[in-house]
Amino acid sequence: MRKLLKQPGRLMGVLLLGMACALPWTQSQAAHDIRGITPQADGSFNLYAFPFNMNLPEGTSLYMWGFGDMNGGTGATHPEGVGYNLPQYPAPTLIVTENQDVTINMTNYGVPNPVSIVITGHQVTATGGSPGLVTNSSENGQMVSYSFTAGSPGTYVYHSLDGSNPGLHAEMGLQGVMVVRPADYDAVTNRTAYGAGTGTDYEQENLYLMTEIDPDLHLQMEKGHFAHFTNKDRYAKVWFINGRVFPDLFQGDYNTLFPNQPYESLVMAHPGDKVLVRNVNAGQDSHPMHYHGENLRLIGRDGKMLSSDGNTSDLGRSDNTLNSAPKQSIDALWTWTGKDLNWDIYGHDTAHVCIDNDGDGFGDEAFGSTFEHEYCPDHGKVLADLVSLPGVADLTLGGWWSGSPFLGDTGDLPPGEGGLNPFGGYFLVWHSHAEKELTTFDIFPGGSLGAVVVLPPAIAIQ
Amino acid sequence: MKIFTKKALSGAIAIALLGMMGSAGAVVNVQCKGDTDGDAVIDSPDPDHPNAKCMSLIAGDSFAVMSDTNPLYIFGFGDQTGTLPENLIAEGILDAEWSGPTIELDQGDEFWLNLTNVGTVIRPDLFDPHTVHFHGFPNAATVFDGVPEVSVSINMGATLTYYYNIVEPGTYIYHCHVEATEHMEMGMLANLYVHPAQDALGYDVDGSGAIDATELAATQATRKGGAAINPEGYVYNDGDGTTGFDMEKALQFGSFDSDFHDASLFVQPLPFALMEGNYPQINGRGYPDTINQAPLPAPVDDASGKVTGNPGELLNNGTPTQLIDSAITIDRAVEGNRLLLRLSNVGLDRFWTLTAPGLKMQVVGTGARHMRGQDGKNIYRTTASVNFGGGETHDVIIDTTDVAAGTYFLHATELHQMSNKTQFDGGMITEIVVN
Repeated sequence: MRKLLKQPGRLMGVLLLGMACALPWTQSQAAHDIRGITPQADGSFNLYAFPFNMNLPEGTSLYMWGFGDMNGGTGATHPEGVGYNLPQYPAPTLIVTENQDVTINMTNYGVPNPVSIVITGHQVTATGGSPGLVTNSSENGQMVSYSFTAGSPGTYVYHSLDGSNPGLHAEMGLQGVMVVRPADYDAVTNRTAYGAGTGTDYEQENLYLMTEIDPDLHLQMEKGHFAHFTNKDRYAKVWFINGRVFPDLFQGDYNTLFPNQPYESLVMAHPGDKVLVRNVNAGQDSHPMHYHGENLRLIGRDGKMLSSDGNTSDLGRSDNTLNSAPKQSIDALWTWTGKDLNWDIYGHDTAHVCIDNDGDGFGDEAFGSTFEHEYCPDHGKVLADLVSLPGVADLTLGGWWSGSPFLGDTGDLPPGEGGLNPFGGYFLVWHSHAEKELTTFDIFPGGSLGAVVVLPPAIAIQ
Repeated sequence: MKIFTKKALSGAIAIALLGMMGSAGAVVNVQCKGDTDGDAVIDSPDPDHPNAKCMSLIAGDSFAVMSDTNPLYIFGFGDQTGTLPENLIAEGILDAEWSGPTIELDQGDEFWLNLTNVGTVIRPDLFDPHTVHFHGFPNAATVFDGVPEVSVSINMGATLTYYYNIVEPGTYIYHCHVEATEHMEMGMLANLYVHPAQDALGYDVDGSGAIDATELAATQATRKGGAAINPEGYVYNDGDGTTGFDMEKALQFGSFDSDFHDASLFVQPLPFALMEGNYPQINGRGYPDTINQAPLPAPVDDASGKVTGNPGELLNNGTPTQLIDSAITIDRAVEGNRLLLRLSNVGLDRFWTLTAPGLKMQVVGTGARHMRGQDGKNIYRTTASVNFGGGETHDVIIDTTDVAAGTYFLHATELHQMSNKTQFDGGMITEIVVN
């Protein structure tokens, strides 16, 4: 930040390059929630199904089937979602409360196949439409109502499953996530995954929804060649997080560059923040999602807290790579502190103090510490005494490299290098470790290559 | 026909680098506390860093031979610890190993990992930088996380030194993260694991809050000077001995797609979307090479002369590259009964399920963490199989106490993975001999 503040022109320039949507200017609440929609006052969602085309960064366009919000975002959780009414990939994230009576009214306005909705872990009563193999489905113009009582807090998948070829529907885009919040949840005072006292409180909440697509299949559907697709021929070539691929997935929620892909997946956190990750696979193939920076503690699976007594999340193991099977969900907590690196992450020559008032080893800003949650035993330790970095001529520099090893610092970079990390955050990639999936239709880098950025405490998170 | 000689090549590369970078670039600079001559071997220990450990790795290329004699072009890491800096590039050229050199550390170590990029001489058109990503490292800082898009990577002819303060025991992986799909498919993958402090310290048996001399004598691991009857080591700081083992073996499961490697060798577009491993391997070999305890001989060209046009020609200047076996023999009367397998998966395009018919596995750790719940209870899982995807690691203990002596097979339950391309009875199989 020191160097940054001296360079307002450069800062403006890099922000205009595309990070403006991802990093906020104004101080708002220092917390992120999953974007989605909540039910109308009567407990209903009103969705429609419609075909659309979606652009990929390497220039192709995919024909999709999607769900959209017929209420135009009147129940949006965040202001930027108000007025949003397009069919989308993934489907709108439905946010409900445990034991809430919910009805999803779904009308098919143009998908050339009967569309339906099933929800993992829920018994759903369907009325209207045409009876199908597993539930009632909506032929063109029909409305079906799916009623259920929201189950235990957690993360669920909903998707279409019917018609002459059920394997088509999720693949074509008719799938999304439903989040069930605990009854005592409060967005400000009780941010927990499973309720107060369960040990699942968090500061940041993010969705990591994996899907994959076989473009050939979408081309066949666009041409109306419904009989040309056989399930055994499906061969995925594009891999998504929250419905976008790298680098689109960093570009901000509801960014108009991606009219049918409203959800980004760049996670932001401060040192010490508990980040709740709702890791969901709505695709057809398994994915090993790898989280750089620190392990996650698993707290729930498929909408059930991992608990021996039902009271606290005591049974979760820890891992850095989540074995994510199709239609399964894992809720997990991730926290990065910089503890025990054995060098001062803010740089020894930065004027700062570390004051640990409560004895947990971490600095407390309220008691005079310069940086909230700095690890005090590493304070003042000089990185250059341990190791020196090669000169820039010997290095290849990443676009998100700030030019400095220190948090909140930026270094001098050659012209044209860096520039995507103006706040000197620590970018740590979160990606599929089936590395083939870091490609978009044969192009690397692409696919499911997301990231978290650990921001210095002074930078607000929206 | 000799197509390459090391000395001439290193000279050519040095000249090329000077031409490319000007006089400012390309510095081989090995850093290691207590090392005076730059070979990453500690000569006079630094009192400020008593637990310093160092390694000098090269990143480059070479060949590896699949178990059906098909030679594949690879990128990889090679261990050049002990080589002086002025010789590092000459020695490192064409010396990439498959799998990469195993890194074994102790909790409490400070680790200086030097990575020198010696270039890819078989592909002189490439100028790829490289990195080390210490997969699973806790509280990683971007600068040493090795992800080139968000950090720095090292150019040809120069060294990047990674500093790691080692505080968490467990089974990790390390690999290059540059153009990750390509460099990992090409072979820049290796075992990495960390032993716990409990090995040396023992543990508190009676819950008194301290480890007395009796407890130390009864629990200190053999590998740290404890009695022979004690466990060889522990996987984690368990405090109860339940992760104790008598023998350990790190097994890394991966697969090569020969079409991808041949495309790279012959300078063709790389088939990312069609990538599909057809040489499943353990520690860089398919069965039956997995149970050959010796380094495999230096690679030679196949009967068709695919690489050089000369069938049977020696590749790599005769340097062996496949050094790590997966053979396991446990002599229970000598070692004890408990076998630890450090399973890691570096598959790029699919999951695998492993089983060892006749043996039970107890999973005691995942992702370099002890399987213990928040309330302190162990949540180990006893199973006959482990299903995992790329990037996952599992610490599995096989207790052979009630097992009949004999040879047991550890293999992928996806049985078509038990092949070397079209050759049956190969691929992802190794043997556990219980005596």
